[in-house]
Amino acid sequence: MAKRAKSTMRATLIVKYLAPAAVLTAAAALAQSKSPARRANTTVLVQQFRTRANGYITWREKNVGRAPAPTNSPEKLDDARHELANKIRTARAGAKQGQIFTPEIADYFRKQISATLNGPHGNEVRQSLRHAEPVKMDLQINQSYPANVPLQSTPPTLLLNLPELPKGMEYRIIDRELVLRDSDANIIVDYIPDAFPADTE
Amino acid sequence: MISARNPAALVLALVAIAVAPLAAQSKSNLDVKLPLLKGSVRFAVIGDSGTGEKEQYEIAKQMEAYRQAVNFDFVIMLGDNIYGGHTPHDFARKFEVPYKPLLDAGVKFYASLGNHDDPKLEPLYKPFNMNGERYYTFKKGDVQFFALDSNYMDAQQLSWLEQNLRSSKAHWKICFFHHPLYNDGKMHGPDLDLRNQLSPLLKIYGVNVVFSGHEHAYERLKPVDNIYYFIQGDSGKLVRHDFHASDEMAKSFDRDRTFMIVEIAGENLYFQTISASGETVDSGELPRPAASVKAAETAR
Repeated sequence: MAKRAKSTMRATLIVKYLAPAAVLTAAAALAQSKSPARRANTTVLVQQFRTRANGYITWREKNVGRAPAPTNSPEKLDDARHELANKIRTARAGAKQGQIFTPEIADYFRKQISATLNGPHGNEVRQSLRHAEPVKMDLQINQSYPANVPLQSTPPTLLLNLPELPKGMEYRIIDRELVLRDSDANIIVDYIPDAFPADTE
Repeated sequence: MISARNPAALVLALVAIAVAPLAAQSKSNLDVKLPLLKGSVRFAVIGDSGTGEKEQYEIAKQMEAYRQAVNFDFVIMLGDNIYGGHTPHDFARKFEVPYKPLLDAGVKFYASLGNHDDPKLEPLYKPFNMNGERYYTFKKGDVQFFALDSNYMDAQQLSWLEQNLRSSKAHWKICFFHHPLYNDGKMHGPDLDLRNQLSPLLKIYGVNVVFSGHEHAYERLKPVDNIYYFIQGDSGKLVRHDFHASDEMAKSFDRDRTFMIVEIAGENLYFQTISASGETVDSGELPRPAASVKAAETAR
């Protein structure tokens, strides 16, 4: 009971002080202005996306493996990651772009991104994107993210406006694409082409 | 670690030993500004260090010289700990070899992640003391440290931070992460979106000090919301002439690489910023701000 009360207090503080961006973004405003039918459709799309993302991690952990335990040995970490990535590449050999980000889900994400960029904190998000050492590269499903290319940081307000991901998976931005990355295996699982508008910067 | 599978690391280790006398000053020549009070918490700070180049090794030598004088027993790393590739050779050349004297002396390193770091491999690398996590907390004496991943500040991390700041009973609360919330550098500048999300939490829960990197120079800012902000992004990389003139700036330095040594005792934090050539470029004594004490008590 006390735990629940504490949790409620935390939530209150987050809403009151911490995440005004999340509460007041254009995305939220748009959601409120949508008709009940459109809101229901959005809920369905988010649920579909979560099912697919969770399904990938569950499949990978069950059939391929997990990240190793902490170790003193970079060799062991390097070997474990390569092994994990190679097994995924073999097991998902036929995977194609759009298997998790279906066209309907991708459209939902594009709208969320656009609403974030045009929302009350849009300027800060754009500035954050500009300052994050943007990267450009050709993307392929099951490709390892190059070790010598920095990972562009993802603006917090944007993350707060996208569906939560299971542990072991993260969103990353590469040029105008939004990438779903298996962080344990360093594999590109899926991506949305032109997720960010051309005038983002 | 240095191993038979990684003979290049052995060669690097021998090179490091050979150049050691060139950079390190003798203990008696050091200009130590810290009071070295009994029972104090002492640590070093490095940021954007992991280049594997000569300048990183020079800073590492100065750190070892000051460790012998000051006896700090841990180092916080502000990200970009390993630039470029993350092969075993990279871990050796950019971390294990330059800091070998410190590691051999039992100094612990606590890393946070920069945009050039590998957010999975590095947390699993035991010498970085991250225990497999992108963000974590640890306590030394009456000081609690919060290492954050500013590359990916998602709802889970914000919630974790709030929960841990709220429950902390530490006298001093220190956050460290890569991207600065405030900074007058020309190269990157502050991350305003990150500031929007983080600074209310830091203020409400009485965080006293924030260390960040990313900007390849040194800057100390005048307190913002009763929080002391330091930028230390030049322990390996350096960008000269990197600052705009600013009223918020208390001190800046961009002519050489630096590291910091810090001592916390009771109500005071003492700091000293030292360049690769051994020059003290900034130092001082900062009292624990009264307002942050009040904020912490109110939040509790």
